[in-house]
Amino acid sequence: MLSVNRLSVHYGPIRALDAASIRIGRGEFVALLGPNGAGKTSLISGIAGLVRAQGRVLFEDREIGALPTEDRVRRGLTMTPEGRHVFANLTVAENLRLGAAIRRDREGVAQDIEKYLGLFPILRERNHQLAGTLSGGEQQMLAIARSMMSRPRLLMLDEPSLGLAPRIVAQMFDYISLLKEAGVTLLVVEQNVMQALKHADRAYVISSGIIRHEGKAEELRSDRRLIDMYLGN
Amino acid sequence: MSVTTQTRSAQKTLAPWMRSLVGGLVTALPVILIGIVILLFAPAYLVRVAFAAYVNLLIVLGLQIFMGNSMVANLGQGAFVGIGAYSVAILATPVAMKKLSIPDAPFGLADIVLHPALAAGAGLGITGLIAALTGLVIARLSGEAATIVTFSLMMVVHSIFIQWTDLFKGAQAFFGIPQVVGLATAIGAATLATIIARLFKDSASGLHLRASAESLLAARAFGVDVFRLRLLAWILGAVICASGGILYAFFMGTINARAFHFELVMTTLAMLILGGMRTVSGAVFGCIALALLLEAIRSVESGIAVAGFQLPPLLGLSGLAMGAIIVLGMTFRPRGIFVRLELDELLWRLFARRQPRAITEGKPI
Repeated sequence: MLSVNRLSVHYGPIRALDAASIRIGRGEFVALLGPNGAGKTSLISGIAGLVRAQGRVLFEDREIGALPTEDRVRRGLTMTPEGRHVFANLTVAENLRLGAAIRRDREGVAQDIEKYLGLFPILRERNHQLAGTLSGGEQQMLAIARSMMSRPRLLMLDEPSLGLAPRIVAQMFDYISLLKEAGVTLLVVEQNVMQALKHADRAYVISSGIIRHEGKAEELRSDRRLIDMYLGN
Repeated sequence: MSVTTQTRSAQKTLAPWMRSLVGGLVTALPVILIGIVILLFAPAYLVRVAFAAYVNLLIVLGLQIFMGNSMVANLGQGAFVGIGAYSVAILATPVAMKKLSIPDAPFGLADIVLHPALAAGAGLGITGLIAALTGLVIARLSGEAATIVTFSLMMVVHSIFIQWTDLFKGAQAFFGIPQVVGLATAIGAATLATIIARLFKDSASGLHLRASAESLLAARAFGVDVFRLRLLAWILGAVICASGGILYAFFMGTINARAFHFELVMTTLAMLILGGMRTVSGAVFGCIALALLLEAIRSVESGIAVAGFQLPPLLGLSGLAMGAIIVLGMTFRPRGIFVRLELDELLWRLFARRQPRAITEGKPI
Protein backbone atom coordinates (compact mmCIF):
# COMPACT_ATOMS: atom_id res chain seq x y z
CA MET A 1 0.00 0.00 0.00
CA LEU A 2 2.84 2.35 0.94
CA SER A 3 6.32 2.03 -0.39
CA VAL A 4 9.00 4.48 0.68
CA ASN A 5 12.23 4.30 -1.24
CA ARG A 6 15.43 5.92 0.02
CA LEU A 7 13.76 8.87 1.72
CA SER A 8 16.11 11.49 3.20
CA VAL A 9 15.30 14.54 5.28
CA HIS A 10 17.71 17.37 6.07
CA TYR A 11 17.30 20.26 8.47
CA GLY A 12 19.97 22.65 7.22
CA PRO A 13 23.27 20.80 7.53
CA ILE A 14 21.78 18.13 9.82
CA ARG A 15 20.76 14.87 8.22
CA ALA A 16 17.76 13.63 10.21
CA LEU A 17 16.86 10.76 7.92
CA ASP A 18 19.24 8.92 5.65
CA ALA A 19 17.85 6.96 2.69
CA ALA A 20 15.16 5.15 4.66
CA SER A 21 13.08 2.54 2.85
CA ILE A 22 9.96 0.93 4.26
CA ARG A 23 6.96 -0.96 2.90
CA ILE A 24 3.54 -1.37 4.41
CA GLY A 25 0.91 -3.79 3.14
CA ARG A 26 -2.83 -3.17 3.14
CA GLY A 27 -4.39 -3.70 6.58
CA GLU A 28 -1.06 -4.02 8.37
CA PHE A 29 -0.23 -2.48 11.75
CA VAL A 30 3.41 -1.46 11.57
CA ALA A 31 5.34 0.04 14.47
CA LEU A 32 8.25 2.43 13.98
CA LEU A 33 10.59 2.19 16.94
CA GLY A 34 13.73 3.99 17.98
CA PRO A 35 15.27 6.26 20.59
CA ASN A 36 14.77 10.02 20.83
CA GLY A 37 16.12 11.89 17.83
CA ALA A 38 16.37 8.71 15.74
CA GLY A 39 14.43 10.22 12.82
CA LYS A 40 11.02 8.60 13.40
CA THR A 41 9.07 11.84 13.22
CA SER A 42 11.13 13.00 10.25
CA LEU A 43 10.23 9.82 8.38
CA ILE A 44 6.48 10.10 8.85
CA SER A 45 6.55 13.88 8.37
CA GLY A 46 8.34 13.26 5.09
CA ILE A 47 5.70 10.71 4.08
CA ALA A 48 2.94 13.19 5.01
CA GLY A 49 4.63 16.00 3.09
CA LEU A 50 5.07 18.20 6.15
CA VAL A 51 8.83 18.48 5.65
CA ARG A 52 10.87 18.62 2.46
CA ALA A 53 12.27 15.19 1.65
CA GLN A 54 14.30 13.55 -1.11
CA GLY A 55 13.37 10.08 -2.32
CA ARG A 56 10.29 8.28 -3.56
CA VAL A 57 6.99 7.82 -1.79
CA LEU A 58 4.53 5.49 -3.50
CA PHE A 59 1.04 5.36 -2.06
CA GLU A 60 -1.29 2.82 -3.68
CA ASP A 61 1.16 2.55 -6.60
CA ARG A 62 1.18 6.30 -7.25
CA GLU A 63 4.12 8.62 -6.70
CA ILE A 64 2.97 11.23 -4.16
CA GLY A 65 6.38 12.69 -3.23
CA ALA A 66 5.69 15.99 -4.99
CA LEU A 67 2.15 16.52 -3.72
CA PRO A 68 1.27 19.03 -1.00
CA THR A 69 0.04 17.61 2.31
CA GLU A 70 -3.63 18.33 1.65
CA ASP A 71 -3.57 16.25 -1.54
CA ARG A 72 -1.97 13.34 0.31
CA VAL A 73 -4.67 13.61 3.00
CA ARG A 74 -7.28 13.65 0.25
CA ARG A 75 -5.88 10.38 -1.08
CA GLY A 76 -6.28 8.75 2.30
CA LEU A 77 -2.90 9.30 3.95
CA THR A 78 -3.27 11.07 7.31
CA MET A 79 -0.78 11.83 10.05
CA THR A 80 -1.60 12.77 13.64
CA PRO A 81 1.27 14.85 14.98
CA GLU A 82 3.20 14.03 18.11
CA GLY A 83 1.40 13.25 21.34
CA ARG A 84 -2.24 14.17 21.67
CA HIS A 85 -2.00 17.52 19.92
CA VAL A 86 -5.68 18.33 20.13
CA PHE A 87 -6.51 21.96 19.47
CA ALA A 88 -6.89 22.98 23.12
CA ASN A 89 -8.72 26.26 22.48
CA LEU A 90 -11.28 24.70 20.15
CA THR A 91 -14.24 22.66 21.34
CA VAL A 92 -14.48 18.88 20.96
CA ALA A 93 -17.01 19.41 18.16
CA GLU A 94 -14.70 21.84 16.36
CA ASN A 95 -11.77 19.47 16.69
CA LEU A 96 -13.81 16.73 15.03
CA ARG A 97 -14.89 19.10 12.23
CA LEU A 98 -11.25 19.95 11.72
CA GLY A 99 -10.33 16.35 11.17
CA ALA A 100 -12.62 16.49 8.13
CA ALA A 101 -10.87 19.62 6.77
CA ILE A 102 -10.44 18.15 3.31
CA ARG A 103 -13.94 16.69 2.98
CA ARG A 104 -16.80 18.39 1.15
CA ASP A 105 -19.64 15.93 1.88
CA ARG A 106 -21.39 17.65 4.78
CA GLU A 107 -23.83 14.84 5.44
CA GLY A 108 -21.10 12.24 5.48
CA VAL A 109 -19.11 14.36 7.93
CA ALA A 110 -22.15 14.73 10.20
CA GLN A 111 -22.71 10.97 10.07
CA ASP A 112 -19.09 10.27 10.93
CA ILE A 113 -19.19 12.69 13.85
CA GLU A 114 -22.23 10.81 15.17
CA LYS A 115 -20.41 7.53 14.65
CA TYR A 116 -17.38 8.52 16.72
CA LEU A 117 -19.46 10.21 19.40
CA GLY A 118 -21.24 6.86 19.66
CA LEU A 119 -17.94 5.01 19.91
CA PHE A 120 -16.59 7.42 22.55
CA PRO A 121 -19.65 8.51 24.57
CA ILE A 122 -17.55 10.70 26.86
CA LEU A 123 -16.80 12.92 23.86
CA ARG A 124 -20.51 13.43 23.27
CA GLU A 125 -20.88 14.59 26.87
CA ARG A 126 -18.01 17.02 26.41
CA ASN A 127 -18.94 18.02 22.86
CA HIS A 128 -19.08 21.78 23.56
CA GLN A 129 -16.18 21.91 26.00
CA LEU A 130 -12.73 23.13 25.08
CA ALA A 131 -10.53 20.18 24.18
CA GLY A 132 -7.88 21.54 26.56
CA THR A 133 -10.16 20.81 29.52
CA LEU A 134 -10.36 17.06 28.77
CA SER A 135 -8.28 14.50 30.66
CA GLY A 136 -5.27 12.92 28.96
CA GLY A 137 -7.17 9.77 28.00
CA GLU A 138 -10.13 11.75 26.69
CA GLN A 139 -7.85 13.92 24.61
CA GLN A 140 -6.32 10.81 23.12
CA MET A 141 -9.77 9.46 22.21
CA LEU A 142 -10.50 12.80 20.60
CA ALA A 143 -7.21 12.74 18.70
CA ILE A 144 -7.99 9.28 17.33
CA ALA A 145 -11.59 10.12 16.43
CA ARG A 146 -10.39 13.32 14.77
CA SER A 147 -7.81 11.43 12.72
CA MET A 148 -10.53 9.08 11.53
CA MET A 149 -12.68 12.01 10.37
CA SER A 150 -10.58 12.33 7.23
CA ARG A 151 -11.46 8.68 6.43
CA PRO A 152 -7.82 7.65 6.12
CA ARG A 153 -6.82 4.40 4.50
CA LEU A 154 -3.37 4.73 6.02
CA LEU A 155 -3.10 6.46 9.40
CA MET A 156 0.25 7.51 10.85
CA LEU A 157 0.25 8.18 14.60
CA ASP A 158 3.22 9.94 16.17
CA GLU A 159 3.80 8.79 19.77
CA PRO A 160 0.15 8.31 20.71
CA SER A 161 1.08 7.16 24.24
CA LEU A 162 3.17 10.25 25.05
CA GLY A 163 2.34 11.57 28.52
CA LEU A 164 -0.41 9.04 29.26
CA ALA A 165 -0.77 7.00 32.47
CA PRO A 166 0.14 3.29 31.95
CA ARG A 167 -3.45 2.12 32.36
CA ILE A 168 -4.61 4.60 29.74
CA VAL A 169 -1.79 3.56 27.39
CA ALA A 170 -3.10 -0.02 27.32
CA GLN A 171 -6.62 1.27 26.64
CA MET A 172 -5.35 3.50 23.89
CA PHE A 173 -3.65 0.59 22.12
CA ASP A 174 -6.94 -1.28 22.33
CA TYR A 175 -8.58 1.62 20.47
CA ILE A 176 -5.84 1.59 17.88
CA SER A 177 -6.39 -2.12 17.38
CA LEU A 178 -10.07 -1.36 16.80
CA LEU A 179 -9.02 0.89 13.92
CA LYS A 180 -7.04 -1.96 12.43
CA GLU A 181 -10.08 -4.21 12.66
CA ALA A 182 -12.06 -1.51 10.89
CA GLY A 183 -9.66 -1.89 7.97
CA VAL A 184 -7.30 1.04 8.51
CA THR A 185 -3.65 0.46 7.75
CA LEU A 186 -1.47 1.82 10.56
CA LEU A 187 2.04 3.16 10.94
CA VAL A 188 2.61 3.99 14.61
CA VAL A 189 5.68 5.73 16.00
CA GLU A 190 6.30 4.64 19.57
CA GLN A 191 8.78 4.80 22.40
CA ASN A 192 6.67 2.43 24.45
CA VAL A 193 8.30 -0.54 22.75
CA MET A 194 6.60 -3.43 24.53
CA GLN A 195 3.05 -2.12 24.14
CA ALA A 196 3.68 -1.36 20.49
CA LEU A 197 5.16 -4.79 19.77
CA LYS A 198 2.28 -6.47 21.57
CA HIS A 199 -0.25 -5.02 19.12
CA ALA A 200 1.69 -4.51 15.91
CA ASP A 201 2.18 -7.04 13.10
CA ARG A 202 5.59 -5.81 12.07
CA ALA A 203 8.12 -3.23 13.18
CA TYR A 204 11.00 -1.16 11.87
CA VAL A 205 13.82 -0.09 14.17
CA ILE A 206 15.47 3.20 13.35
CA SER A 207 18.44 4.94 14.91
CA SER A 208 20.57 7.94 13.85
CA GLY A 209 18.39 8.38 10.78
CA ILE A 210 19.03 4.90 9.43
CA ILE A 211 16.65 1.91 9.37
CA ARG A 212 18.55 -0.74 11.35
CA HIS A 213 16.15 -3.62 11.42
CA GLU A 214 12.83 -4.85 10.13
CA GLY A 215 10.88 -7.86 11.31
CA LYS A 216 7.79 -9.46 12.75
CA ALA A 217 6.69 -7.90 16.03
CA GLU A 218 6.72 -11.16 17.96
CA GLU A 219 10.27 -12.00 16.83
CA LEU A 220 11.49 -8.53 17.77
CA ARG A 221 9.88 -8.85 21.16
CA SER A 222 12.02 -11.82 22.03
CA ASP A 223 15.22 -10.35 20.56
CA ARG A 224 16.72 -8.88 23.74
CA ARG A 225 19.98 -8.00 22.05
CA LEU A 226 18.33 -5.79 19.46
CA ILE A 227 16.08 -4.13 21.99
CA ASP A 228 19.03 -3.39 24.28
CA MET A 229 21.12 -2.09 21.42
CA TYR A 230 18.67 0.34 19.89
CA LEU A 231 15.73 0.77 22.17
CA GLY A 232 17.39 0.98 25.52
CA ASN A 233 15.13 -1.18 27.70
CA MET B 1 -34.78 15.25 28.60
CA SER B 2 -32.64 17.91 30.22
CA VAL B 3 -32.79 21.54 29.23
CA THR B 4 -29.28 21.49 27.84
CA THR B 5 -30.12 18.74 25.41
CA GLN B 6 -33.38 20.50 24.60
CA THR B 7 -31.58 23.72 23.80
CA ARG B 8 -29.00 21.77 21.86
CA SER B 9 -31.70 20.20 19.75
CA ALA B 10 -33.31 23.63 19.36
CA GLN B 11 -29.95 24.93 18.19
CA LYS B 12 -29.66 21.98 15.86
CA THR B 13 -32.84 22.92 14.00
CA LEU B 14 -31.00 25.98 12.68
CA ALA B 15 -28.38 25.45 10.02
CA PRO B 16 -24.92 26.44 11.31
CA TRP B 17 -24.67 29.47 9.04
CA MET B 18 -28.11 30.64 10.18
CA ARG B 19 -26.93 30.42 13.77
CA SER B 20 -23.89 32.53 12.89
CA LEU B 21 -26.12 35.02 11.08
CA VAL B 22 -28.39 35.38 14.12
CA GLY B 23 -25.31 35.58 16.35
CA GLY B 24 -23.85 38.32 14.17
CA LEU B 25 -27.12 40.26 14.32
CA VAL B 26 -27.25 39.98 18.12
CA THR B 27 -23.66 41.25 18.31
CA ALA B 28 -24.49 44.11 15.95
CA LEU B 29 -27.62 45.08 17.89
CA PRO B 30 -25.87 47.64 20.15
CA VAL B 31 -24.25 49.11 17.03
CA ILE B 32 -27.65 49.58 15.43
CA LEU B 33 -29.41 50.87 18.56
CA ILE B 34 -26.72 53.41 19.47
CA GLY B 35 -26.73 54.57 15.86
CA ILE B 36 -30.50 55.07 15.80
CA VAL B 37 -30.45 57.06 19.05
CA ILE B 38 -27.73 59.33 17.66
CA LEU B 39 -29.56 59.73 14.34
CA LEU B 40 -32.75 60.77 16.13
CA PHE B 41 -31.53 62.91 18.99
CA ALA B 42 -27.88 63.91 18.71
CA PRO B 43 -26.56 67.33 17.61
CA ALA B 44 -24.58 67.60 14.38
CA TYR B 45 -21.12 67.60 15.99
CA LEU B 46 -21.92 64.33 17.77
CA VAL B 47 -23.02 62.79 14.47
CA ARG B 48 -19.53 63.53 13.13
CA VAL B 49 -17.91 61.95 16.18
CA ALA B 50 -20.16 58.92 15.86
CA PHE B 51 -19.40 58.61 12.15
CA ALA B 52 -15.67 58.45 12.90
CA ALA B 53 -16.38 55.75 15.49
CA TYR B 54 -18.31 53.68 12.94
CA VAL B 55 -15.45 53.99 10.48
CA ASN B 56 -13.12 52.79 13.24
CA LEU B 57 -15.45 49.87 13.87
CA LEU B 58 -15.19 48.83 10.23
CA ILE B 59 -11.39 48.94 10.49
CA VAL B 60 -11.36 46.99 13.77
CA LEU B 61 -13.59 44.34 12.18
CA GLY B 62 -11.28 44.14 9.17
CA LEU B 63 -8.41 43.70 11.57
CA GLN B 64 -10.26 41.02 13.54
CA ILE B 65 -10.93 38.93 10.45
CA PHE B 66 -7.22 38.49 9.77
CA MET B 67 -5.60 38.85 13.19
CA GLY B 68 -8.31 37.28 15.32
CA ASN B 69 -8.50 34.09 13.28
CA SER B 70 -4.90 33.61 12.18
CA MET B 71 -3.34 35.26 15.28
CA VAL B 72 -0.76 36.80 12.97
CA ALA B 73 0.01 40.44 13.79
CA ASN B 74 -1.13 43.17 11.41
CA LEU B 75 -0.06 46.79 11.73
CA GLY B 76 -0.76 47.58 8.10
CA GLN B 77 -4.49 48.25 8.14
CA GLY B 78 -3.92 52.01 7.70
CA ALA B 79 -2.60 51.33 4.20
CA PHE B 80 -5.86 49.77 3.03
CA VAL B 81 -8.03 52.42 4.68
CA GLY B 82 -5.97 55.01 2.81
CA ILE B 83 -6.09 53.15 -0.49
CA GLY B 84 -9.88 52.94 -0.24
CA ALA B 85 -10.23 56.61 0.64
CA TYR B 86 -7.84 57.89 -2.05
CA SER B 87 -9.38 55.62 -4.69
CA VAL B 88 -12.76 57.27 -4.36
CA ALA B 89 -11.20 60.70 -3.90
CA ILE B 90 -9.40 60.37 -7.23
CA LEU B 91 -12.23 58.64 -9.10
CA ALA B 92 -15.36 60.39 -7.80
CA THR B 93 -14.24 64.00 -7.34
CA PRO B 94 -15.75 66.24 -10.06
CA VAL B 95 -13.41 67.11 -12.95
CA ALA B 96 -13.62 70.85 -12.30
CA MET B 97 -12.38 70.24 -8.77
CA LYS B 98 -9.58 67.96 -9.93
CA LYS B 99 -8.40 70.54 -12.46
CA LEU B 100 -7.68 72.68 -9.44
CA SER B 101 -6.24 70.08 -7.10
CA ILE B 102 -4.52 67.42 -9.23
CA PRO B 103 -4.27 68.88 -12.77
CA ASP B 104 -1.18 66.78 -13.58
CA ALA B 105 -2.61 63.42 -12.48
CA PRO B 106 -1.27 60.52 -14.58
CA PHE B 107 -3.33 58.16 -16.78
CA GLY B 108 -5.78 60.97 -17.58
CA LEU B 109 -7.30 60.60 -14.13
CA ALA B 110 -7.87 64.35 -13.90
CA ASP B 111 -10.33 64.14 -16.80
CA ILE B 112 -12.61 61.36 -15.67
CA VAL B 113 -15.23 61.11 -13.00
CA LEU B 114 -17.16 58.05 -11.86
CA HIS B 115 -20.48 57.79 -10.07
CA PRO B 116 -19.71 57.51 -6.31
CA ALA B 117 -21.10 53.95 -6.14
CA LEU B 118 -18.94 52.90 -9.08
CA ALA B 119 -15.93 54.62 -7.55
CA ALA B 120 -16.56 52.79 -4.27
CA GLY B 121 -16.71 49.47 -6.15
CA ALA B 122 -13.46 50.33 -7.91
CA GLY B 123 -11.90 51.30 -4.58
CA LEU B 124 -12.81 47.94 -3.08
CA GLY B 125 -11.53 46.15 -6.18
CA ILE B 126 -8.21 48.03 -6.19
CA THR B 127 -7.76 47.28 -2.48
CA GLY B 128 -8.57 43.62 -3.04
CA LEU B 129 -5.98 43.45 -5.81
CA ILE B 130 -3.25 45.14 -3.77
CA ALA B 131 -4.13 42.96 -0.78
CA ALA B 132 -3.88 39.84 -2.95
CA LEU B 133 -0.40 40.84 -4.13
CA THR B 134 0.93 41.84 -0.71
CA GLY B 135 -0.81 38.81 0.82
CA LEU B 136 1.36 36.49 -1.29
CA VAL B 137 4.21 37.50 1.01
CA ILE B 138 2.37 38.21 4.25
CA ALA B 139 0.40 34.95 4.29
CA ARG B 140 3.71 33.09 4.62
CA LEU B 141 4.82 35.05 7.69
CA SER B 142 4.18 34.96 11.39
CA GLY B 143 5.67 36.35 14.59
CA GLU B 144 8.05 39.30 14.39
CA ALA B 145 8.35 39.06 10.62
CA ALA B 146 4.63 39.68 10.18
CA THR B 147 4.73 42.64 12.56
CA ILE B 148 7.61 44.25 10.71
CA VAL B 149 6.37 43.55 7.18
CA THR B 150 2.80 44.74 7.79
CA PHE B 151 4.08 47.88 9.49
CA SER B 152 6.48 48.50 6.60
CA LEU B 153 3.59 48.08 4.18
CA MET B 154 1.79 50.93 5.89
CA MET B 155 4.95 53.08 5.83
CA VAL B 156 5.50 52.40 2.12
CA VAL B 157 1.91 53.23 1.19
CA HIS B 158 2.04 56.36 3.35
CA SER B 159 5.24 57.48 1.64
CA ILE B 160 3.59 57.03 -1.74
CA PHE B 161 0.64 59.18 -0.63
CA ILE B 162 3.05 61.88 0.56
CA GLN B 163 5.59 61.75 -2.30
CA TRP B 164 3.40 61.20 -5.36
CA THR B 165 1.96 64.70 -5.22
CA ASP B 166 0.55 64.66 -8.78
CA LEU B 167 -1.89 61.94 -7.79
CA PHE B 168 -2.38 62.16 -4.04
CA LYS B 169 -1.64 65.84 -3.36
CA GLY B 170 1.13 64.87 -0.97
CA ALA B 171 0.88 66.20 2.55
CA GLN B 172 -1.91 68.59 1.55
CA ALA B 173 -5.56 67.79 2.02
CA PHE B 174 -7.42 66.25 -0.93
CA PHE B 175 -10.68 68.23 -1.10
CA GLY B 176 -13.84 68.35 -3.14
CA ILE B 177 -14.84 64.69 -2.74
CA PRO B 178 -18.63 64.43 -3.12
CA GLN B 179 -20.25 64.14 0.31
CA VAL B 180 -22.76 61.47 -0.48
CA VAL B 181 -23.07 59.33 2.65
CA GLY B 182 -24.49 59.93 6.10
CA LEU B 183 -24.40 58.17 9.43
CA ALA B 184 -27.15 55.75 8.40
CA THR B 185 -24.91 54.30 5.67
CA ALA B 186 -22.08 53.84 8.17
CA ILE B 187 -24.41 52.05 10.58
CA GLY B 188 -25.57 49.76 7.79
CA ALA B 189 -22.01 49.04 6.68
CA ALA B 190 -20.83 48.34 10.24
CA THR B 191 -23.75 45.96 10.79
CA LEU B 192 -23.01 44.16 7.56
CA ALA B 193 -19.30 43.91 8.39
CA THR B 194 -20.10 42.52 11.85
CA ILE B 195 -22.19 39.79 10.27
CA ILE B 196 -19.55 39.04 7.63
CA ALA B 197 -16.83 38.79 10.29
CA ARG B 198 -18.97 36.39 12.31
CA LEU B 199 -19.89 34.25 9.31
CA PHE B 200 -16.22 34.03 8.38
CA LYS B 201 -15.13 33.12 11.91
CA ASP B 202 -17.68 30.30 12.15
CA SER B 203 -17.14 29.04 8.58
CA ALA B 204 -14.93 26.08 7.76
CA SER B 205 -12.24 28.52 6.58
CA GLY B 206 -12.42 30.44 9.86
CA LEU B 207 -12.26 27.26 11.91
CA HIS B 208 -9.29 25.94 9.97
CA LEU B 209 -7.49 29.24 10.35
CA ARG B 210 -8.15 29.32 14.10
CA ALA B 211 -6.77 25.79 14.35
CA SER B 212 -3.64 26.82 12.45
CA ALA B 213 -3.15 29.62 14.98
CA GLU B 214 -2.90 26.99 17.70
CA SER B 215 -0.73 24.50 15.92
CA LEU B 216 0.45 25.22 12.43
CA LEU B 217 1.86 21.72 12.04
CA ALA B 218 -1.23 19.88 13.27
CA ALA B 219 -3.52 21.95 11.07
CA ARG B 220 -1.36 21.27 8.04
CA ALA B 221 -1.29 17.57 8.87
CA PHE B 222 -5.09 17.51 8.50
CA GLY B 223 -4.84 19.03 5.08
CA VAL B 224 -5.49 22.66 5.99
CA ASP B 225 -3.97 24.94 3.35
CA VAL B 226 -2.85 27.62 5.81
CA PHE B 227 -1.35 29.89 3.15
CA ARG B 228 -4.56 30.02 1.12
CA LEU B 229 -6.73 30.70 4.17
CA ARG B 230 -4.46 33.44 5.50
CA LEU B 231 -4.48 35.04 2.08
CA LEU B 232 -8.28 34.88 1.99
CA ALA B 233 -8.59 36.46 5.45
CA TRP B 234 -6.01 39.10 4.55
CA ILE B 235 -7.92 40.15 1.43
CA LEU B 236 -11.32 40.11 3.14
CA GLY B 237 -9.96 42.10 6.10
CA ALA B 238 -8.30 44.62 3.77
CA VAL B 239 -11.48 45.15 1.75
CA ILE B 240 -13.48 45.82 4.93
CA CYS B 241 -10.81 48.27 6.14
CA ALA B 242 -11.00 49.97 2.74
CA SER B 243 -14.78 50.28 3.03
CA GLY B 244 -14.13 52.31 6.19
CA GLY B 245 -11.80 54.60 4.25
CA ILE B 246 -14.30 54.98 1.41
CA LEU B 247 -17.13 55.98 3.75
CA TYR B 248 -14.81 58.37 5.56
CA ALA B 249 -13.88 60.13 2.31
CA PHE B 250 -17.50 60.32 1.13
CA PHE B 251 -18.61 61.75 4.48
CA MET B 252 -15.85 64.27 5.18
CA GLY B 253 -15.33 65.47 1.60
CA THR B 254 -11.69 66.11 2.47
CA ILE B 255 -8.97 63.62 3.33
CA ASN B 256 -5.35 63.79 4.37
CA ALA B 257 -2.72 61.05 4.38
CA ARG B 258 -2.03 61.69 8.05
CA ALA B 259 -5.46 60.26 8.89
CA PHE B 260 -4.32 56.80 7.71
CA HIS B 261 -1.10 56.68 9.62
CA PHE B 262 0.27 55.64 12.97
CA GLU B 263 -2.48 57.05 15.18
CA LEU B 264 -5.21 55.20 13.30
CA VAL B 265 -3.26 51.94 13.52
CA MET B 266 -2.70 52.30 17.26
CA THR B 267 -6.27 53.35 18.02
CA THR B 268 -7.88 50.48 16.14
CA LEU B 269 -5.37 47.97 17.49
CA ALA B 270 -6.05 49.16 21.05
CA MET B 271 -9.77 48.72 20.42
CA LEU B 272 -9.28 45.15 19.23
CA ILE B 273 -6.94 44.21 22.09
CA LEU B 274 -9.25 45.76 24.67
CA GLY B 275 -12.29 43.91 23.36
CA GLY B 276 -10.60 40.58 22.69
CA MET B 277 -9.25 39.83 19.23
CA ARG B 278 -10.49 36.25 19.01
CA THR B 279 -14.14 37.28 18.92
CA VAL B 280 -16.22 39.55 16.73
CA SER B 281 -18.02 40.73 19.88
CA GLY B 282 -14.61 41.76 21.20
CA ALA B 283 -14.01 43.92 18.13
CA VAL B 284 -17.43 45.56 18.48
CA PHE B 285 -17.35 46.21 22.22
CA GLY B 286 -13.69 47.20 22.31
CA CYS B 287 -14.49 49.80 19.69
CA ILE B 288 -17.56 51.10 21.53
CA ALA B 289 -15.78 51.23 24.89
CA LEU B 290 -12.65 52.98 23.64
CA ALA B 291 -14.61 55.40 21.43
CA LEU B 292 -16.70 56.49 24.43
CA LEU B 293 -13.66 56.73 26.67
CA LEU B 294 -11.59 58.73 24.19
CA GLU B 295 -14.47 61.13 23.60
CA ALA B 296 -14.85 61.66 27.34
CA ILE B 297 -11.12 62.29 27.65
CA ARG B 298 -11.14 64.70 24.73
CA SER B 299 -13.73 66.84 26.46
CA VAL B 300 -11.50 67.01 29.53
CA GLU B 301 -8.47 67.61 27.35
CA SER B 302 -9.72 70.97 26.08
CA GLY B 303 -10.24 72.15 29.65
CA ILE B 304 -13.57 71.97 31.43
CA ALA B 305 -15.17 73.77 34.34
CA VAL B 306 -15.73 71.64 37.44
CA ALA B 307 -17.92 73.23 40.12
CA GLY B 308 -17.19 76.72 38.83
CA PHE B 309 -13.45 76.06 38.66
CA GLN B 310 -11.87 76.21 35.20
CA LEU B 311 -9.38 73.37 34.56
CA PRO B 312 -6.49 74.15 32.23
CA PRO B 313 -6.33 72.35 28.84
CA LEU B 314 -4.53 69.01 29.15
CA LEU B 315 -3.23 68.51 25.63
CA GLY B 316 -2.00 65.02 24.78
CA LEU B 317 -4.16 63.39 27.43
CA SER B 318 -5.94 61.16 24.92
CA GLY B 319 -2.66 59.76 23.60
CA LEU B 320 -1.53 59.12 27.15
CA ALA B 321 -4.83 57.46 27.99
CA MET B 322 -4.64 55.19 24.97
CA GLY B 323 -1.14 54.04 25.92
CA ALA B 324 -2.37 53.43 29.46
CA ILE B 325 -5.33 51.39 28.19
CA ILE B 326 -3.07 49.16 26.08
CA VAL B 327 -0.67 48.61 28.99
CA LEU B 328 -3.41 48.00 31.57
CA GLY B 329 -5.42 45.81 29.23
CA MET B 330 -2.42 43.68 28.30
CA THR B 331 -1.47 43.35 31.98
CA PHE B 332 -4.80 42.57 33.60
CA ARG B 333 -6.86 41.13 30.79
CA PRO B 334 -4.45 40.13 28.05
CA ARG B 335 -7.09 38.28 26.06
CA GLY B 336 -9.62 41.11 26.22
CA ILE B 337 -13.22 41.40 27.36
CA PHE B 338 -14.68 38.72 25.09
CA VAL B 339 -12.07 35.99 25.31
CA ARG B 340 -13.67 33.10 23.47
CA LEU B 341 -17.46 33.20 23.45
CA GLU B 342 -19.48 35.71 21.46
CA LEU B 343 -22.16 37.88 23.02
CA ASP B 344 -25.01 35.64 21.83
CA GLU B 345 -23.23 32.53 23.11
CA LEU B 346 -22.77 34.11 26.54
CA LEU B 347 -26.42 35.19 26.64
CA TRP B 348 -27.45 31.70 25.64
CA ARG B 349 -25.44 30.17 28.49
CA LEU B 350 -26.80 32.66 30.98
CA PHE B 351 -30.31 31.76 29.88
CA ALA B 352 -29.61 28.03 30.21
CA ARG B 353 -28.07 28.45 33.66
CA ARG B 354 -31.15 30.27 34.90
CA GLN B 355 -32.93 26.94 35.11
CA PRO B 356 -30.61 24.78 37.22
CA ARG B 357 -33.27 22.37 38.45
CA ALA B 358 -34.40 21.41 35.02
CA ILE B 359 -30.82 20.82 33.94
CA THR B 360 -30.09 18.34 36.70
CA GLU B 361 -33.37 16.48 36.27
CA GLY B 362 -32.99 12.99 34.92
CA LYS B 363 -29.25 13.25 34.95
CA PRO B 364 -27.52 11.69 37.94
CA ILE B 365 -24.52 13.61 39.16
